[in-house]
Amino acid sequence: MKSFAYVSARDVPTAVSAIAGSPNAKFLGGGTNLVDLMRGNIEQPDTIVDITRLPLTGVDLLPDGGVRIGALVRNSHLAAHPLIRSRYPVLSQAILLGASAQLRNMATVGGNLLQRTRCLYFYDTAAACNKRAPGSGCDAIGGFNRNHAILGVSDNCLATHPSDMCVALAMLDATVEVESTRGVRRIPMNEFHVLPGDTPHVETSLAADELVTAVELPSVAVAANSRYRKVRDRASYAFALVSVAAALEVTGTTVTQVRLALGGVSAKPWRATKAEEVLLGAPATEESFRQAAAAELAAATARPGNEFKIGLAERTIVAVLRELVTKGDAA
Amino acid sequence: MTTTVATQGGIGTNAQRPDGALKARGEFAYSSDLWHEDMVWGVTLRSPHPYARITSIDITEALRVPGVQAVLTHEDVPGTNIYGLEHPDQPVLAEDVVRYQGEPVALVAADHPETARRAMKRIEVAYEVLPPVVNTEDAAHGRAEPLHPNGNVVRHVKVRHGPQDVRADVVVTGEYEVGMQDQAFLGPESGLAVPADDGSVDLYIATQWLHADQRQIAVALGLPPEKVRLTLSGVGGAFGGREDLSMQVHACMLALRTGKPVKMVYNREESFYGHVHRHPARMYYEHGATRNGKIVYVKARIYLDGGAYASSTGAVVANAATLGVGPYDVPSVTVDCWGVYTNNPPCGAMRGFGAVQAAFAYESQMDRLADAVGLDPVEVRIRNAMSEGAVMPTGQVVDSPAPVVELLTLVRDKPLPAKGNDLTDMPGGVSNTTHGEGVVRGVGYGVSIKNVGFSDSFDDYSTVRVRLSVIGGQAVASVHTAAVEVGQGLVTVLQQITRTELGVDVVTIEPMDTSIGDAGSTSASRQTYVTGGALRAACAAVRAALFERIGHTDLPLDHDKIVEVLGTDVIDEVVEWRHRPTYRLDPETGQGNAHVQYAFAAHRAVVDVDVELGLVKVVELVCAQDVGKAINPEAVLGQIQGGTAQGLGLAVMEEIQLADGKIRNPSFTDYLIPTVLDMPPMVIDVLERPDPHAPYGLRGVGEPPTISSTPAIVAAIRAATGMALTRVPVRPEHITETS
Amino acid sequence: MTPQRSAYTRRTVLKSTAAATAVTHLTSAPAIADDGGTSEITLSVNGQRHRVAVEPRVTLLDALRERLGLTGTKKGCDRGECGACTVLVDGERIKSCLTLAVMRQGAEITTVEGLARGEELHPVQEAFIRRDAFQCGACTPGQIMSAVACINEGHTGSEAEIREWMSGNLCRCAAYQNIVAAVADAAKETPR
Repeated sequence: MKSFAYVSARDVPTAVSAIAGSPNAKFLGGGTNLVDLMRGNIEQPDTIVDITRLPLTGVDLLPDGGVRIGALVRNSHLAAHPLIRSRYPVLSQAILLGASAQLRNMATVGGNLLQRTRCLYFYDTAAACNKRAPGSGCDAIGGFNRNHAILGVSDNCLATHPSDMCVALAMLDATVEVESTRGVRRIPMNEFHVLPGDTPHVETSLAADELVTAVELPSVAVAANSRYRKVRDRASYAFALVSVAAALEVTGTTVTQVRLALGGVSAKPWRATKAEEVLLGAPATEESFRQAAAAELAAATARPGNEFKIGLAERTIVAVLRELVTKGDAA
Repeated sequence: MTTTVATQGGIGTNAQRPDGALKARGEFAYSSDLWHEDMVWGVTLRSPHPYARITSIDITEALRVPGVQAVLTHEDVPGTNIYGLEHPDQPVLAEDVVRYQGEPVALVAADHPETARRAMKRIEVAYEVLPPVVNTEDAAHGRAEPLHPNGNVVRHVKVRHGPQDVRADVVVTGEYEVGMQDQAFLGPESGLAVPADDGSVDLYIATQWLHADQRQIAVALGLPPEKVRLTLSGVGGAFGGREDLSMQVHACMLALRTGKPVKMVYNREESFYGHVHRHPARMYYEHGATRNGKIVYVKARIYLDGGAYASSTGAVVANAATLGVGPYDVPSVTVDCWGVYTNNPPCGAMRGFGAVQAAFAYESQMDRLADAVGLDPVEVRIRNAMSEGAVMPTGQVVDSPAPVVELLTLVRDKPLPAKGNDLTDMPGGVSNTTHGEGVVRGVGYGVSIKNVGFSDSFDDYSTVRVRLSVIGGQAVASVHTAAVEVGQGLVTVLQQITRTELGVDVVTIEPMDTSIGDAGSTSASRQTYVTGGALRAACAAVRAALFERIGHTDLPLDHDKIVEVLGTDVIDEVVEWRHRPTYRLDPETGQGNAHVQYAFAAHRAVVDVDVELGLVKVVELVCAQDVGKAINPEAVLGQIQGGTAQGLGLAVMEEIQLADGKIRNPSFTDYLIPTVLDMPPMVIDVLERPDPHAPYGLRGVGEPPTISSTPAIVAAIRAATGMALTRVPVRPEHITETS
Repeated sequence: MTPQRSAYTRRTVLKSTAAATAVTHLTSAPAIADDGGTSEITLSVNGQRHRVAVEPRVTLLDALRERLGLTGTKKGCDRGECGACTVLVDGERIKSCLTLAVMRQGAEITTVEGLARGEELHPVQEAFIRRDAFQCGACTPGQIMSAVACINEGHTGSEAEIREWMSGNLCRCAAYQNIVAAVADAAKETPR
């Protein structure tokens, strides 16, 4: 690990001014991702601004029925919070399926949003990676790409976003609040992460000097009937091959509300809007689910190593929707 | 023969580990925990290329880094720059060519590990990169550039048994593949070398075989063996991965050069490059049988990828070939097994050692045969099962119990587990990936045979010293051996044997080091057999010395009598003990009494498969194993559970991913091993059918369960899915792919 | 015993030679001196306050092992992938390899060395020994610390729950069945 200067900030203004004008400074929260990347010399900040003492640890009900989550709320605390468990079970599920108990005790909401890819080539500093070293190429394209993206990929990058939590946030239409010396800004979740295009090193719409301060969840009634499923190579403590966050309301036999997001398939938590369009107003049948899943995955581009993800994503969507219908009936 | 008074904690009891409290307190010192005043840290510069010519090495800039104590290359190897477990072919530090990614090229010692790493990056190595040889079959058949002077075939074992070219009514064929597995022990390689004033060196190291290390280090350092003293440190798991040298010579070189103690610790990534792996295999099998399912012949071609250097490939090849038809009576056997050099990472010992790969193929074939003749998978195995007196494909007669039928019957007859309603029991764990829809249960079986101890004419022995004295009115036996404890519980077993043989309660185990004779490797499931045998013989010698003092030999030996007779005297006996000799396989026919003992285990696996998403939950594993005599029944269960889990890992998740010779997943995030959620509860039957040739009738325990669990689990997945599944590990996409 | 051995001043060196025998000649360890760029921090470990000079990049794991001589906390991967380095910080289990020592000033850190009261082992340690819940022991300190937290969290209601909440601690010897039994045993003995 390279040496760096260390600053501990006690309030948000101090934190954001500490990083302003220092392009190679980084905020450090739980450390579960950044310290790992620093250990591998993938990230080499010259200054670390420790933000763990900032007062951003609240989980509060908003007047409109939504919930505001401080950026430094630990994953374990968020998953266990009564407001989240009752109103957004999908978010609790997604968090609890990530990492391990120890890591969830460390990882923060803000850090989870900024988690970087687990691409094998991104982690191998001897490999070509446009994300780590812009312009160096992408060894994943012709290499081992079983874990890689199938949606929104470019010729420059096949990396996936590794978070489980973010898939639920995307499905819930969360808003990310960020702050810098220039003021406060609110970014819709769907615009927070960006696709690789020609600039895979740009992963979010966050400016280098901006601090994530909170995530706000709108009131989402249909979230009461929601589900997160994760398909992975090991029963625990492994990244998703494919994951699905879904919420569904069926009135009579017709889909009257639906939200779908996919994980493990793209550089961003993938809101499955095409599938949602197909489903809305359609009969809540296996056939509709299949059509919706196929519609979403129609744009997928796979390599030989990750071609299986297309079918797997489709079947996982269908399985989750089917389960939500059954669950909705029972309720 | 004299009876001794049974004391507590003798053989057959669940005596507790003497190192248990230290381990639970965090006070047990592993090699990575060692520390010495004035010590410096060593690091290793490794080749980034699987195959390249080195055109120059420039260490000038590295030497300029403040805090650097030494930078060494092949030019600094004091002795012979070549070593190897079976035959020397591997440079201590690469000279003109590197043959695998991760091959050591240079060493740095500095006063801080970060300084050493920084200096390491300033070493300039110019490489001329060459296209790597990665295809095993090309390497075996002369279709690849030779990587070593004698070509790419490390060993080709031919087994020709019975009439050749026979025909059968029913023929089943198959092609099978086993991926490269890693031992993945939790404590990465580490060691501390301490130089002495006389030019000798002490090395504190986590290893499986102190004397083999010592011999190889001495040659590389150009020192007589007695000037290279090794002491075992705490070993954080081994499983075969510590049988070859890692940093042993490197640490000693740096210590001798700097005159300071040198500590080296690999990190997890380096550990993937720093030890050998399980040979990946490609296997072509043909079984001929009668319509009743009786095997008429087996023909097999087995290719094992040895990677860049030989390590123990020769012995692995012999195992795969001689055990290649499994624990079955086969009247006609034609097996060819090749172990070859490629530019993949070197492969060598891992639990199961050649038997694992073959068992996946031959057990898969047995299931195909069962299908072909319309028999139950257990029934077809029972019809062909070997038993005591059977003739192996090598011509060797099995002259001790071989209760294969009984083991199969035991696992078959266990009640099947109920289908779970608990969602956390479903495939995918608590993620509740399914609520039970699309979940299909499957049951599969596997049975294995493994040789115990070193085979093929190897002079396999152990050395033990026992001292008996009276300390504070109490008789105390102390046991000294170079046989190493790696977690399997050898120290417990040595105490148990001593208590039983000498009738004393207090048994201390001396540090394991090279100040006593060779004990052989902690591998091949052999230590309880061989070092246990040596210990029993040493205790007998101590007893004889006691009896001599008493003047007669027919009284029971008890504690008070020992104290009375011994007084202030010390009895000290050293014994070197061998099992019966084995013989070299005939190079043309593979015939010969190559193995000293066979061990057998059977598994039944029950799996739930989410066929929609390809997820597998191993619901239950049943194992029956014959151990001859369970010296410590609890430790036996631990070995069976541990071995089974590593077989489970190979079945459904573990593989080192290689692309053009490069390891793509050298981490525990990308190379997955089973967690507590993946490993189901086990139901275990331990049989004790004594081997009349072995001490206490015991049989080696550690390896057989690793071998049979993999095919049993894959068979269960096949039963659930109907998929062919000819390659391990089986991944979700293999289950869901449409075929 | 070779004469060199008497040169060791740290208990771990001696202990390595004493797996099954009494341990002798224990003395305390001097800390490894660091090069420049360090700052003095206070770490509170197992109820004792330690002043240590560390660079910001030093992880809590390295501070414990290399500066304080508390080598009970193990380094299995150094990347948060194995759980061997699990310690408690203010009662919560974390991975000490992914946290910087400077970030944990003022926190109460508990390592495996801090569980026993003198000769009296913690119930979780007792249960691990009684159930033979380890072989090589390299993961054991992390398993034990994780188990202590798991019990405190109340995640021991069933065998399945124990498995889920202990799944962040790898054991390659796969003593898992015995680990689950040990955690269940200790949970019964630990008042919550």
